Amino acid sequence: MAQSEKQRSTIRIYLDILNAADEEGNAKTTRLLQRANLPHDRLMKHLAELQKRDLLTEVNNGGNRYYTITRKGREFVSEVRRAQSFLSAFGVSI
Amino acid sequence: MIHPYFIENSILSLFSGVVALAVSYYAFRYRRVTGSSFLRLLSVGFMLLGVGLLVQGSIYLLAEFNVGRFVDREALVYGATGVYLVLQSAAYLLIGTGYTIRVQRGASSDGMGTGAAVLAVQAAPLLFGTLVLDIGELVILVLVSFVVFQGAMAYSELKNRLSLYVLLGFAFIALSHLGELLGSLLASGDLYLLGGTANLAGFCLLLVFVVRSGRIGSV
Repeated sequence: MAQSEKQRSTIRIYLDILNAADEEGNAKTTRLLQRANLPHDRLMKHLAELQKRDLLTEVNNGGNRYYTITRKGREFVSEVRRAQSFLSAFGVSI
Repeated sequence: MIHPYFIENSILSLFSGVVALAVSYYAFRYRRVTGSSFLRLLSVGFMLLGVGLLVQGSIYLLAEFNVGRFVDREALVYGATGVYLVLQSAAYLLIGTGYTIRVQRGASSDGMGTGAAVLAVQAAPLLFGTLVLDIGELVILVLVSFVVFQGAMAYSELKNRLSLYVLLGFAFIALSHLGELLGSLLASGDLYLLGGTANLAGFCLLLVFVVRSGRIGSV
């Protein structure tokens, strides 16, 4: 049970990061920190995981790092929203 | 004559089985994304329901048309009904457990649903004769009523259309078991057919829920 709770909260964090990256277009780390409401080290860990899963890409521009959501990332967000909608009918949240 | 309205009810069972498998597929698909233990239970539960309905519907049709030239068609039908009842007991136990976990996070689920389903599973080897099948139907009615109760609790909290579809879906399924039980006890073919129709209506409402939840999530 503890593991599934952890998994659910991770999914929600992923959703927050990906939504922020999608809305911003090219999102800076500082912007993602604000939007995801996470400490820097945890955000970097999640960003690395999202890149590993091809849901987010890192772009270096003039010494600044930006993050952009990928097509696979958008599909992932849609699928999680559908799952959220499905689960909500049973009174369960992700 | 095995049962009146046999063919009609078999076809209704086959349709209901397909819908149950569709719900199972979506629960499985969303579980892969979210890792939700509730969705795992829901997926396996609906898979058991779907398989049970398809097995029951197919065997009833095979028996009715005597495709396999069975020596004892009635025994075959009782056997198929028995398998379906056991699968349903397990399915509603899983769905009920999912709801129980939702309500009592972290607590063990040893409520009335568990006790009733264990009774049904233990009774499986004795599934001969209509009396035992009727008792099995009654056990399932108790289990589905538990799921309906949990659905009503969820709806009272959320008050949205999706949770209403889920509540009505399970309520129709509960009505179908009541209809089938009364149909068997009163030897009424009309009630039996009404039960099959209510079952299909229940699964169709669950299908509407699956489709609508997918559309809402896509917006």
